[in-house]
Amino acid sequence: MDPTTNHKPTVLMVEDEEDTASLLKFLLERASYEVVHAKDGRQAQELVDTIPLPDIVLLDVMLPFLSGLQVLAYIRGNAAWEKVPIVMLTADGSEHDIKRALESGANDYMLKPFNPRELTSRLNRFLAPAA
Amino acid sequence: MLALNHSDLTLRLGSIAVLCIYSAVILLLSGILLLRFIRLAKERRRRKVTEIWRPLLAQCVVEVPETLPALKPRDHLIFLYLWNHYYESIRGDARTQLNELARRTKTDQFAKQLLRARHLRRRLLAIVTLGHLQERSIWNELATMLQADNAFLSLVSAKALLSIEAQTAIPLLIPVISRRKDWSPIKVVAMFGTVGADIAADTIAKAACQASPEIGARLIRHLAATQSQQGLPPLRALMREGTPSDDILAACLFLFGECSDPRDVATVRAHISHPTWYVRLQAASALGKMGVEEDEPLLITLLDDEHWWVRYRAAEALSNLPWMTAERMTHLCGALSTIESQEHMLPFMAQSNVRKTRPLPTAPPHL
Repeated sequence: MDPTTNHKPTVLMVEDEEDTASLLKFLLERASYEVVHAKDGRQAQELVDTIPLPDIVLLDVMLPFLSGLQVLAYIRGNAAWEKVPIVMLTADGSEHDIKRALESGANDYMLKPFNPRELTSRLNRFLAPAA
Repeated sequence: MLALNHSDLTLRLGSIAVLCIYSAVILLLSGILLLRFIRLAKERRRRKVTEIWRPLLAQCVVEVPETLPALKPRDHLIFLYLWNHYYESIRGDARTQLNELARRTKTDQFAKQLLRARHLRRRLLAIVTLGHLQERSIWNELATMLQADNAFLSLVSAKALLSIEAQTAIPLLIPVISRRKDWSPIKVVAMFGTVGADIAADTIAKAACQASPEIGARLIRHLAATQSQQGLPPLRALMREGTPSDDILAACLFLFGECSDPRDVATVRAHISHPTWYVRLQAASALGKMGVEEDEPLLITLLDDEHWWVRYRAAEALSNLPWMTAERMTHLCGALSTIESQEHMLPFMAQSNVRKTRPLPTAPPHL
């Protein structure tokens, strides 16, 4: 985040579980992010087609209708979204799945339960001027 | 006249029957409406409590506000579910704030009362909560519940004991793990997730050594999931000094293969000609993961084993050897003396050729 400008970075948060979404939204808004929330894979797909480019995507893996990996493939298939960093967030921490997500175009992978401080610092990393 | 009387009686009986049916239908409808009303009222209350506490719980992950809304006793159960959900969604320092919130809302006291609830679900919720709060005062109750017939109750109690004080809980847990056939080894491994992989591996391995062959073998097979090698020393001692059953032997060889510690190669090699086929099978698979060049002839010998699965796994192990190329496999297959052994090599040769021709996956440009 650049403290010299008033621009709030936008995060597209894709999370189906209401309580987790509420917690993430609180943490992200507290860290000066503007949050656009998609409740399932299908809604995420619709938002990718309609909203302006966000600064970052926070994507859950287990989602209704379309999995996080399918949404990831959809985002990476969209030329305009090619450079938007994507951080996956999931309870499934198997090495195979992490590798699969990173190979499919995710930039980072966080496991649930997550450390709130680590979450915001990892997201901020992608917004650093050098990124 | 008599006929008329008879008709009157029938009419009266009919009217009573109709009245009874009507009453029963009305009663039934009222019951359904009442139940629906209760359900809706409960749902409304749950939504209201959630609306108040959800943002507060999110805030408490960062800091607990000075003033908190009053929590009515009837709303405490709903709060408890929410609190646990938030607690299990995060890790690190943030949990301390949630613990503070629980103490300030007297959730610890409420959970202690719930420990004696009639419904199992509520008792489980109380145990989980008190485990998170590391409530030492219920240690004895948890130790009793650890022996419960119900697998859920005992497993959740074990987890709570570990959360409260892992070092004291482990000696209590080892004999229980080794005895409980109804505890899923996956859950046992997951249970130790909070106390560290090394403690988990060591405890489970010790429990496996005390267990019956059936339970012990299941536990050993899941030791690899801890991703720690601390489980190996007790098992090596068991293989060296004890007389383990074939099931335990096979499980140990499987684990040795998964861990691939060079110190265990000799033990694996020693079981390549074991009289029991599934021990030979596990030895072959393990050699495929940890073997050195001198093990290749041993695996080739197993291609002529009397048991189909041993021959299959030996072929697979040969294909897994790090120095095995497609050309080397073709050469090896040509040198085999029996059709059966050659047939086992063919699918792995095909796989090896596919791997050779397939281009390597490319990394995304932004990485």
